[in-house]
Amino acid sequence: MRIVDPMGSSAVSAKSLAARPRSLEGVTIALLDNSKPNAGVLLERVGALLAARSGARAVRAWGKPGASTGAAPAVIEEIAAVARVALTASAD
Amino acid sequence: MLGTDEFIPLARAQVAAQGLPGLPIVTVPHPIGGIPAGAAAAKAGPIVESVLRALTSDPAAAVHAASAAAGDVEAPDDLDHFQAWLMERGWGDGLPAIPPTRERVAAMLAGARRRPHEVAALLVPRLGRATVEAIAANAVMAGALPEHLPVVLAAVEAVADPSFNLQAVQTTTHPCSPLCIVNGPIAGRLGMNAAGNVFGQGTRANAAIGRALRLTLQNVGGARPGKEDRATHGQPGKYAYCIAENEGASPWEPLSVERGFTEGDSTVTVCGSEGPHNINDHGSTTPEGIVTTVAGTAAITGSNNIYLGGEPLIVLGPEHAATAASSGWSKEDFKRAVWDRARVPLARLAPENIERFATIYPEGFRDRPPETPAPIARDWRDVMVIVAGGAGKHSVFIPTFGSTRSVTRRIAD
Repeated sequence: MRIVDPMGSSAVSAKSLAARPRSLEGVTIALLDNSKPNAGVLLERVGALLAARSGARAVRAWGKPGASTGAAPAVIEEIAAVARVALTASAD
Repeated sequence: MLGTDEFIPLARAQVAAQGLPGLPIVTVPHPIGGIPAGAAAAKAGPIVESVLRALTSDPAAAVHAASAAAGDVEAPDDLDHFQAWLMERGWGDGLPAIPPTRERVAAMLAGARRRPHEVAALLVPRLGRATVEAIAANAVMAGALPEHLPVVLAAVEAVADPSFNLQAVQTTTHPCSPLCIVNGPIAGRLGMNAAGNVFGQGTRANAAIGRALRLTLQNVGGARPGKEDRATHGQPGKYAYCIAENEGASPWEPLSVERGFTEGDSTVTVCGSEGPHNINDHGSTTPEGIVTTVAGTAAITGSNNIYLGGEPLIVLGPEHAATAASSGWSKEDFKRAVWDRARVPLARLAPENIERFATIYPEGFRDRPPETPAPIARDWRDVMVIVAGGAGKHSVFIPTFGSTRSVTRRIAD
């Protein structure tokens, strides 16, 4: 038998990812803390190790208002303006 | 993106919903939270190489599934085979479902004066288009009748309101699920249960409307159990969680009237709720007595509402409600009294938890003495009160996810 698809369609539109730098030398790395416990600890440690290994210029951290809410658009814009690469987190 | 291995399905769904399925994800062993900070930091070393590679190599061009209009799907004719097939596709909830054939969906659509391809809402995390037809297909599967469809449609629109925070309600580890509270004349017309065993089994409208919303959230919204739906335990209301307020047995105005509707309006209110917890009080004969028992049950240390705010719900049984109103108390009086009494002294909370709450809600938890009482909601007006249930000296307390607000929508009937 034929049935109606209970999923319907998705409204997601494909976006392209930014081209990556060849190395992180002289680059600012952004960290976006998802505000789950210890996410900042892990991100900052990864950031510090990355900077030590790659010669990145700086590591800067930003936050979200809460674990279940998205980052403010102004924060995303600031990260895009300041940093060449960004790391964020998901999960507990 | 960094994530833990347990949460990979949610992380993938998240980047896909952003239109970026090729975004690299690097994982560490679960968990990050609830362990000493040193242990979390120690998980950084082994992944640095992978992170560096992800940040300095162009990601593979992602293959995007075409966002084609939903079509019909070929399914097994045999009903037993159909059930197994449905589960294999991740479209079921474990209970048998009615096949949503064209004929059955057309009959369902006749229950609402809406165009089939009208998009009632976009449902996250999948960003699925909840067309009237897709909702009707899930309503058929749930065993709903055409006259139930307007309630399901209003509930779907309500959960998509930004203040409900559907993304979090759908994907959290917390056991919340949308509780639907129906008010107004439609509840009687549909034969909804507002009285004895109101949260239990036995009434088709309650069961089918609640289940239709759940299946829509799972299938259109893309919150599959164990995948994007990360609930640690979940709760039985994730099959169906729908009641009507017992307006006839309430001494107070119905929830819909509190929300600015008239008694002639039919509405559905959705709350991001935990399961109900019983409040037994066979002794009290005064409002103060009922308040003491309700507040004592509500003042719990493990509730999201303590530190995230939100709107905990008290569902008074009619006999408790009559006692609570017996001295001329209004619903507001009762809410204020419960909020005043339902406090958790900080000394009852674990020190590490207070530290965490202080970063989330400093006004309530930072540098406070241990005798400081934490209220169950930020404001007395955030305590929701309705009347439902039958004879007996019981009420129930229902905390919520916290970072979610209840939403009331008129039902077009």
